[in-house]
Amino acid sequence: MTIAAGVDVGTGAVKAAVFEVENGETKWLGRSLLRIRQRDPMQLAGEAYDQALEEAGLGRDDVHYVATTGEGEAIPFHTGHFYSMTTHARGAIHLQPKAGAVLDCGALHGRAILVDDRGKVLTYKMTSQCASGSGQFLENIARYLGIAQDEIGSLSQQSDDPEVVSSICAVLAETDVINMVSRGISTPNILKGIHLSMASRLTRLLKSIGAKECVVMLTGGLALDTGLAAAIAEELDKMKGMDATVKTHPDTIYAGAIGAALWGAFRYDKLADLGQLPRAS
Amino acid sequence: MTMSGTKVSGTKAIIERCQSLFDDLHFTAAREWKTAKSGRKVIGYMPIYVPREIIHAADMLPLGVLGGGDQLEVIHGDAYYQSYICRIPRSTIELGVSGRLDFVDGMMFPSICDVIRNLSGMWKMMFPDVYVRYFDVPQNYADDIGGSYYVGELAELRDDLGKLRGSPITDDELRNSIEVYNENRKMVGELYDFRAKTPWQAPAAEAYLVLRAGMVLPVEEHTALIADYLAAAKAEKRPMRDNCRIVLTSVFCEQPPLNLIKSLELAGCYVVDDDLLLVTRWLTEDVPTDGDPIQNLADAFLHHSESTAAKYEPNQAEKGQYLVRAVKRTGAEGVIFAAPSFCDPALLDRPMLQNVLSEANIPYIAFKYAENSGQMQPIREQAGTFADSIKLWSAA
Repeated sequence: MTIAAGVDVGTGAVKAAVFEVENGETKWLGRSLLRIRQRDPMQLAGEAYDQALEEAGLGRDDVHYVATTGEGEAIPFHTGHFYSMTTHARGAIHLQPKAGAVLDCGALHGRAILVDDRGKVLTYKMTSQCASGSGQFLENIARYLGIAQDEIGSLSQQSDDPEVVSSICAVLAETDVINMVSRGISTPNILKGIHLSMASRLTRLLKSIGAKECVVMLTGGLALDTGLAAAIAEELDKMKGMDATVKTHPDTIYAGAIGAALWGAFRYDKLADLGQLPRAS
Repeated sequence: MTMSGTKVSGTKAIIERCQSLFDDLHFTAAREWKTAKSGRKVIGYMPIYVPREIIHAADMLPLGVLGGGDQLEVIHGDAYYQSYICRIPRSTIELGVSGRLDFVDGMMFPSICDVIRNLSGMWKMMFPDVYVRYFDVPQNYADDIGGSYYVGELAELRDDLGKLRGSPITDDELRNSIEVYNENRKMVGELYDFRAKTPWQAPAAEAYLVLRAGMVLPVEEHTALIADYLAAAKAEKRPMRDNCRIVLTSVFCEQPPLNLIKSLELAGCYVVDDDLLLVTRWLTEDVPTDGDPIQNLADAFLHHSESTAAKYEPNQAEKGQYLVRAVKRTGAEGVIFAAPSFCDPALLDRPMLQNVLSEANIPYIAFKYAENSGQMQPIREQAGTFADSIKLWSAA
């Protein structure tokens, strides 16, 4: 039996997950999510880790491998670090075992990942540096429109005539939105337009990595935005030769932490097989 | 250990000292060395290799000039080169025309590429009062052909520096300098061995800064500095991470930004060998201190120097084998090719070296940088996914 923990330091929140793995069976023992809100992410990482351990009824000494991901490389108590794409792929497979592709929709970028049934990354592509396809951009727009972030999804789905927004540049898109507000376009139509614009970029990424007939699992901070998920499904329907189904999961925000913990356990067992356990000390 | 009259101990204090030497683009330490005694002279040299023993034997300070890094704004330097030329000659010119090298009495430009060779001619025109030498090395390693040529080159350099000093360099002075540099190479070798064995105890950025200090400090002081760092690093307990072990290569000329080296380790890669600052370990064995010192230096270059991409290798079967040997010697699990943009010696050899690694089933990745690269995210991504693939999917 291997006990492993994953700590995911994201842009907006720190997530921790503790797992027990035995003979390929996984048991999720504890979890914690702390919003950063201008606090020190490194300190929060320790707090989130301890909270997840407390829920699991374990102490730090009980954990065989602590894996970090995201921006967590500098966390002092980690055993090893995995890149966020690697962990999101594994976390997505845990939450949706049929997933053949993952769309990681984060605060700063979007990423399409083709995965196999073990959660191994086969290929991937990221959005370019422009923020127009990112959660940060959507947060800014919500602030301009004076709505809460958790209202975005439901408002977007009330749209009857979505307004087209630039998908090239966040600055242009924000200008578009200001013009729309002054022209009296309704908030649902503005939000749906933004969602369609973001979905257009993300689905092009999916196409470019060769995802065709598969389940697409959404992860990252935007994965629970029902408006975005609906827009992605609409955009996929429009694409020729694409027969993909979009899925999400209530625990999708933990995908990175889950993946880190499960890869940590996998790595620990591999080191044990190789007789190199001191590397996981 | 005493540096500039200050007792320095512990890795933190040693690394802070090395960092300040690294950051100082006015070369204050070398200036202070020069002014401490009347008549002292400083000879600058660029990467990759010059026989520093001859400079030292002339009582002069060999000063490594490795470009301007990521803290120097290049204003004048860009006017001298096309956009498809690497950055180190531009920033070196910037150092020169901005007066940062005005205390340097001579500059040596080793035979590494056409750009650096041409820079030697430009330096002569720009700074006519400075001794300038394009230092050529043989591409034929037969004693009677390349060997006799190289003995002539070394003898000429010896004569030149003797004239610059005002008195010829004696054989005994050369033998003494060879011994001093043998000691330095031995200590550098210990540092590399220690890091290869326990990379978490000697992070790559620290090892680099310690090595880099040797570009501006007198060699005796540098040897003591490495010894002090090793003692301090061995005494400190640092956490071992589950990182993969990699050999970093192609970084022998234009220097990678310090943040790049740090980013590799943060991304999960312990650097267990590299080809940074090759001048410190170009010669792989002690140079004999008896007999003809010039002949000994020539023999060492011909027969006891590592065949990296920075050296012409006439034997195709030997091409790239130094990388395979480095991987085996250090227990590395992969190789990272990090070449400066537009670096002919690194980039032209890369496909051949990668073929050798593929045949030996050694994984590798490759990317490019400039000495002033600021965006590390793509590098972290490549190095991070490389580390993950090794840790999760490699057989060993």
